[in-house]
Amino acid sequence: MGFIIRRLLQLPLVLFVVVALTFSLVWLIPGNPMLQEGRQPPQEIVDAMNRQYQLDSPVTFFGGYVARVTGIGWVMGWNDAPFDLGPSMRNPDWTVNEIIGAGFPISATIGLGAIAIALIIGTIAGLVGGLRPGSWLDAGTQLIALIGISVPSFVTGSFLIVLFAAKFRIFPIAGWGTPAHAFLPMLTLSLPFAAYIARLLRFGLVEQMTTDHLRTARAKGLSRRQAAWRHALKNAFLPVLSFLGPATAVAMTGSFVVEKVFAVPGLGRHFVDAVLGKDITLVMGVVLVYAVLLIVLNLVVDVLYAWIDPRIDLANAGSR
Amino acid sequence: MRWIVAFFLIIATIVLARALLTFDPSRLPAEIKFASSDVFTLDPQRMSYMQDLRISRSLFDGLCSHDSQTGLPTPAVATSWETSPDAKTWTFHLRPDARWTNGDPVTSMDFRNAWRRLLLPDTAADYSELLFPIRGAPEFFAWRTNALAQYAAGKNHDAESAKMLWESTLAAFDQMVGIRTPDPHTLVVELQSPVPYWLDLCAFQTLAPINQASLDRFTKIDPISGFLKSDPGWTKPGVLITNGPMKLVDWKYKRSMRLEPNELYIGPNTPLAKSVEVVPIEDANTAVLAYESGSVDWISDLTAEFRADLAESSRKWLDRHREEYDLRIDAGASVDEALAALPAPDPAMGERRDVHVLSAFGTDFWSFNCRPLLSNGQPNPFANARVRRAFALAVDKVRLTTSVTRLNERVATTIVPRGSIDGYVSPTGLPFDVSRAREEMASAGWIDRTGDGIVENAAGEPFPTVDMLYMTGNPRVKNIAIALAAMWRDALGVQCELRGKDGKFAKEDLRRGNFMIARGGWYGDYADPTTFLDLAKTGNGNNDRAFSNARFDALLEQAAAELDAGKRMKILSEAERLLVEEELPMLPLCQYVTLYMYDPAKMRGISRSPRLDQRLSRLHRVDEQSASPSP
Repeated sequence: MGFIIRRLLQLPLVLFVVVALTFSLVWLIPGNPMLQEGRQPPQEIVDAMNRQYQLDSPVTFFGGYVARVTGIGWVMGWNDAPFDLGPSMRNPDWTVNEIIGAGFPISATIGLGAIAIALIIGTIAGLVGGLRPGSWLDAGTQLIALIGISVPSFVTGSFLIVLFAAKFRIFPIAGWGTPAHAFLPMLTLSLPFAAYIARLLRFGLVEQMTTDHLRTARAKGLSRRQAAWRHALKNAFLPVLSFLGPATAVAMTGSFVVEKVFAVPGLGRHFVDAVLGKDITLVMGVVLVYAVLLIVLNLVVDVLYAWIDPRIDLANAGSR
Repeated sequence: MRWIVAFFLIIATIVLARALLTFDPSRLPAEIKFASSDVFTLDPQRMSYMQDLRISRSLFDGLCSHDSQTGLPTPAVATSWETSPDAKTWTFHLRPDARWTNGDPVTSMDFRNAWRRLLLPDTAADYSELLFPIRGAPEFFAWRTNALAQYAAGKNHDAESAKMLWESTLAAFDQMVGIRTPDPHTLVVELQSPVPYWLDLCAFQTLAPINQASLDRFTKIDPISGFLKSDPGWTKPGVLITNGPMKLVDWKYKRSMRLEPNELYIGPNTPLAKSVEVVPIEDANTAVLAYESGSVDWISDLTAEFRADLAESSRKWLDRHREEYDLRIDAGASVDEALAALPAPDPAMGERRDVHVLSAFGTDFWSFNCRPLLSNGQPNPFANARVRRAFALAVDKVRLTTSVTRLNERVATTIVPRGSIDGYVSPTGLPFDVSRAREEMASAGWIDRTGDGIVENAAGEPFPTVDMLYMTGNPRVKNIAIALAAMWRDALGVQCELRGKDGKFAKEDLRRGNFMIARGGWYGDYADPTTFLDLAKTGNGNNDRAFSNARFDALLEQAAAELDAGKRMKILSEAERLLVEEELPMLPLCQYVTLYMYDPAKMRGISRSPRLDQRLSRLHRVDEQSASPSP
């Protein structure tokens, strides 16, 4: 318990560093978020906008931002609400809170779905290969896994669209609204994860099968399959589990490529649009969400680790 | 093993719960769905993007609207108007039965409030200058800008002093600006000088009225800056109060937007559509796939790389039935009716009928940097008009449109699209003439003195490598840039270097003058040559070239003061002649086209007027049977 609390107490400090670094990087991007392509507003208007959004001074901007986001500004009575990530600079009709609120559930749905699919496919493929190392089944799944890791999502995504949406018309193209819209993006996003899981599990199993306690189990009369199922799988899954933490965070915060190919309005797409448009507040807001998610998920994985493997002692690991 | 199963179950539950929360199956699919670029804002005073204006046109009715066939201004909220004998004072009579979606009557005050908002620098409207013809409007804009600057520099930044500043602003507006409301249904506008295209401006969407009470709930005065700030919340469904034929029922960020008929609407633009959904798709290929699979009925800007091939297959089909098509048009059918009645295209022969190439009210051009020095301090060879003329003369525009863009756009020698404005006679412009181009180069001192194929000046220095700036993201622009570089190298003996940049960063370079030649282009906002010619005015905010010519500026001023419409057009024509035959701050290439993708046998209501002012309220589905009656 102490370990968890310690980690959570570190969270604000880590977040502050992340936000400060992000801010200095975004501020250095050339260009002014208030300017756009096409028609140019008069210079007076550009100046007025800069002052209105405090773009004339990085210090005022960052100070105001921290006060607003942490809720200090709310306590002091400067802002109307706490935890306000501010207005989006490139979307005059939307606040950053609204944009993240709209994009994150979509990316999270696709991400979690992709991880679930990846776990199913990856586990099956890993088991098939790991139980019969050197067989043609093993070689086949390893080859497919290699392809899954190497082929970029925009290729698999476009391929799936052309095949299942344009040719056979099983799934709709573009947009969001029904579970059918979610399936192809989930599948596309899941493939590299599935391939990775399959490889981790396969090598984990092969290694576990040669350990002493497995040999003992076999000697006691368990069949190869029984031994693998009861004793090896649990340990072979450890590397998969530590991979799952960051992988879930990555998948949930949205893959820009998958969201672009399927025209899904998720957080990944909004984030890239924000960087290209130098939408400072939106970039910082998304990074903040990403950081929180990554830290929390890593913590969850560490806790799960201790649960699976009693040899890991969190209390001591934390006090190191 | 239990924990693995448990983990799966947890994930499955979360996914399912999330899915149920984010999916919204309650609504029926819309009658018409169309693919559009992302909507930027629904605030009528702040918008300037075409896709925003298109939605606004169905949400807000202005004083006038554009006729879908002719593009001329017709009554909307104003039923009639008169002008004073000196053509400076306009009196608009508003329809007494016009209503906002909350039931409030639409009054002249709503227009006055909206226009004041458009003129406030606080609003940061791209189009505040559209109101500058009104007496006192530019002065008020400057006054408020100055007052805000003084407030920021001053000592008192409390709520009380901010409120006082706002009250004095309201008083200044009343006193300075020539917009009066004698009664709720009469609006009187006094112009500084006669503006022949004033009615056309009154049909422009940024001049749409605003329901002040609904906006006030989201507006506050910022005590630190003195600015009037609006909360983004006011344009959301259920909150946004509009007066147009459609109303906003749903808007999800970069996901979907839905419009349905406004049952309180009384006015000339009665909606035909039952429901319209805007599907934002940024990826051009995804848009085409979405159309092909029936997810959208209309692609409002087809930019896929293979669009020239798509257009070709439609042309092929139409050519095969040209005779029958012409007969139907002569018999009075609309283009869509005639297309829908022709025999269906044969996909096996690579034919289609759903790609439409429409000319737009815009000109594709490249800009010459006219500053005497480049941004790196070196002398700029393009400061010399002879060099600019030489580069313009050396471009084979027909080859560009037939074999580079392959869309057969109409070649342009002028900035104002030829024949687009009644009563305006376009100048001739420069032809494609390589030998004349070489003469111009030679007369500017650039001759190939060493025989290496590169021109040098009298001091023997070669022509500096031409820095060509273009915006990445559109293959058409890049292809044109490559072709231009080759034409200039072959005809003039100069080396060019392409420099592609993302639109936003390219804009920065343009503002700082960090280029020699850059990709440009402009769409007209109202039916008058000045909507294009103002680009070349000294100090204009969109004059990326920093072109400055006293004679040109004087001609524009002379035209602004001219009361006789015919004489005014002659002066403007002379001004444009100066631009496109002598000074060449920009090199016009061709008239812009917009490609639409829709099947005329399934959907109707698209306007083909060159302004392409589409009204979503007019879109509707047609039955395929009834759409193709036997001839």
